[in-house]
Amino acid sequence: MKAITNLSLTAPQISRRNFLGVSGVFVLGAVLPSCAKTPQPPVATEPFVPNLFLALEPDGTVHVTAHRSEMGQGIRTALAQVVADELDADWSRVVVDQAEGDAKYGDQNTDGSRSILLNYERLRTAGAAARLMLRQAAAQHWQVGVDEVEAANHEVTHAGSGQSLGYGDLAGIAATLPVPEDPPRKTDAEHRFIGKSIVHVDAADIVRGKGAYGADFQMPNMATAVIVRCPWLGGGVKSIRNKPNTAPGLVGIEILDPSASAGPVFNPVGGVAVVADDTYTAMRIAGDLDIEWTESENQAFSSDALQGELREALAQPGERVPNSEKGDVDAAFAADAEGMTELSATYETPFLAHAPMEPPVAVASVADGKCVVHGPFQDPQSARGLVAGWLGYELDNVTVTPTLLGGAFGRKSKPDFGLEAVELSKRLGRPIRVQWSREDDIRHDYFHASSAQYHRASIDERGHPQAWLERTAFPSIQTVFDGTATLPAEWELEMGFSNLPYKVANQRMEFTGIRPGVRVGWMRSVCNIFHAFSANVFADEMASAAGRDPIEHRLEILADGGILQVPGMQPPEGHGLDVGRLRDVIERVRALSEWDRPRPEGTGLGFAVHHSFRSYVATVLEASVVNGAPRVSNAYVVLDCGTYVNSDTCIAQMEGAVVFGLSLALHGSISMEDGIVAQSNFHDYPLLRMNEAPATQVELVPPQGRLPAGVGEPGVPPVAPALVNALFAATGTRHRTLPIKVA
Amino acid sequence: MAQKLNVNGRDVETDAAPDTPLLWVLRDHLGLTGTKFGCGGAYCGACTVHLSGSPVRSCQLPVSGVSGQPITTIEALEAEHPELLDVWVKNNVAQCGYCQSGQLMSAAALLNDKPSPTDDDIDAAMSGNLCRCGTYIRIRAAIHEAAAQRAGGSAS
Repeated sequence: MKAITNLSLTAPQISRRNFLGVSGVFVLGAVLPSCAKTPQPPVATEPFVPNLFLALEPDGTVHVTAHRSEMGQGIRTALAQVVADELDADWSRVVVDQAEGDAKYGDQNTDGSRSILLNYERLRTAGAAARLMLRQAAAQHWQVGVDEVEAANHEVTHAGSGQSLGYGDLAGIAATLPVPEDPPRKTDAEHRFIGKSIVHVDAADIVRGKGAYGADFQMPNMATAVIVRCPWLGGGVKSIRNKPNTAPGLVGIEILDPSASAGPVFNPVGGVAVVADDTYTAMRIAGDLDIEWTESENQAFSSDALQGELREALAQPGERVPNSEKGDVDAAFAADAEGMTELSATYETPFLAHAPMEPPVAVASVADGKCVVHGPFQDPQSARGLVAGWLGYELDNVTVTPTLLGGAFGRKSKPDFGLEAVELSKRLGRPIRVQWSREDDIRHDYFHASSAQYHRASIDERGHPQAWLERTAFPSIQTVFDGTATLPAEWELEMGFSNLPYKVANQRMEFTGIRPGVRVGWMRSVCNIFHAFSANVFADEMASAAGRDPIEHRLEILADGGILQVPGMQPPEGHGLDVGRLRDVIERVRALSEWDRPRPEGTGLGFAVHHSFRSYVATVLEASVVNGAPRVSNAYVVLDCGTYVNSDTCIAQMEGAVVFGLSLALHGSISMEDGIVAQSNFHDYPLLRMNEAPATQVELVPPQGRLPAGVGEPGVPPVAPALVNALFAATGTRHRTLPIKVA
Repeated sequence: MAQKLNVNGRDVETDAAPDTPLLWVLRDHLGLTGTKFGCGGAYCGACTVHLSGSPVRSCQLPVSGVSGQPITTIEALEAEHPELLDVWVKNNVAQCGYCQSGQLMSAAALLNDKPSPTDDDIDAAMSGNLCRCGTYIRIRAAIHEAAAQRAGGSAS
């Protein structure tokens, strides 16, 4: 077998040279002054490691440690861009190493679109500290002032004497210097990599089939396990009616106990593990097993029934978001004032599966009191803690290292698949890879919750709401963490519900939760998906009821400029909802889409805007109905994420968000009866395909010195409502339930 | 009982059971892990390889049925289509990258068949390859760019 050691770390040289566009070679040919030269410093024997994130080899190679997980959002590249820019490195000499899960790095939980928001400043400082130390090292060696030397493009120079030394040459001296806490950092204008488009560091490997994902990681003497899981949550193995004792390639059959309910957090659901020499043998034997399962209360669960309960809940007053009440909504509705129109609507969205292209998979080795795990983990640090807890080991005896993640979207924050591999390796005394099938993935997900929203408003002749009641109901993610939790958490409500950005004199926000009989969990954009959907469609309904242009109307009903004071959960400091930025992305998408340009008969434009993950996104879709099916011909997206690191990554994430959003708007729906998930693979849980993908234009709002914000998720929420609004413009039919079904 | 295969121009033998899908022979028996498992049902195209030059879903192809026919996997695509890999990298097509082996194999087969594909040709050839990250429009642009490069190259 071919040995795969770990993530390949080679830089894609060609594209980087193209990016830099200039060559340092000519500098070497410059005529140097004839004054006496200081001899070269001795070659260091150890790398210069000023902090957790950077190591400089004596040969000049710079290692940047990526402590966040790569799932296509380009974070390994972006983190390196930040460090390398402040270091003023030669990009072609930068390699990226993947960090294990370790608390010394701080937060490693790669979700919530927070990697740059949390790490931008500290990584700039990490690079800048090293750069200052290299200057200090050169100054010390040449016996000149630090202010007289400059560091640029992997070299420190002293203009006065014409001397220069490569960064690697200075590694030995720099390593003897104290690390400065507050080194000078570049101005935005001085940045060479930050804010620019750079090809991803793994791109060259990926196109050669060398990108190493979870299933590609191999260990000596490794066997592969395929697990048959109970179709309903909480069922255990009563009997295996046809358990084979031996079969060619069969290593063993192990029964894994189920977790009692949706919790404890991220524990495996249990099942029958078939362990074999190779994946296919395990799959084939697993597929033939006839297993009798024990019963569970979750067999009573029906997603249709839950949806009915959610609708019923919306007909009643719910819990109120603290401090959300303005004026007197009930009095405003009762007044039935002259010139006012009352509107109300209910919106519904289904359960969804994450369905990353790489099904869950992990490799674990438990031996000699130590445990090593490799796999596609979004949070290797919390996975490490859970593994240590599972085994009763000290943290020091457990390592968890992320491979490349073949898509994740939140699924791989939950390391149940890793714990399965750990348990089986412990039992069998050899390294085990647990490979989930697509059916396992679809049926045993932590599903994005189904939901329903009710909106009621009283609008004036211009479509401006004078009273607005909004209610939301959905199974909370809290139910995974807390066996008794029912109500949504305030952080779920802050995702597009309690921070509704409109100007309204009479307002109330109410919420309800119902415990589901399946595991729910966060999926890319989380509750913003359904909250942005209902609020944006309802606002569009206000505009159409008043005969107004949807964008013109929206600009008018936005709250007054500045930072919005929101009820419920408060944003982090400096990240308050800035209505002026919402207004800006709306104006920009109006221009980008040529909103006022007439489209052909039967083609409509729809608009939506949403603030999530501290960013601002406005989206316009152009859609029609062709042969009874919605067809999206063009997408226009404007993103304001403040300061960004890789401009092309931001654009790519918006392009991908359009596809992700259209998948859920047009196709996605997971249903359960008797606690059993009805769907199993891409034939009954379809995703958007090439022939359905619209041409997409993306505009990035210039950073303007603003704090960095989210990129991976905020593009998704506006897509579904923009499509509903476009189809309304095209056909006059208003769809209020996802996925959209055109009769 | 060993079975003879021709993979990426080399004759190899495998002792995998005859009903083993080619995908798992490539991955588990021959160590060619560039070809990916996505669905096991030929719905997603992540496992696409070339069999006698035609794109096939290797998860659905028992190894017993491919003896004597040349098989090409992503690991050998560069020799045949260097321009395709170049434009894929230059345009940052991949996001997570997991589906891209299959996307590239389908794209290469398309270009072999139709050196200057239209958008409709691309839809027809590529709609069997799912990408959850949503890289479709970059794949489309990259295929057009690779086609143009090949046309330019052959003209010069």
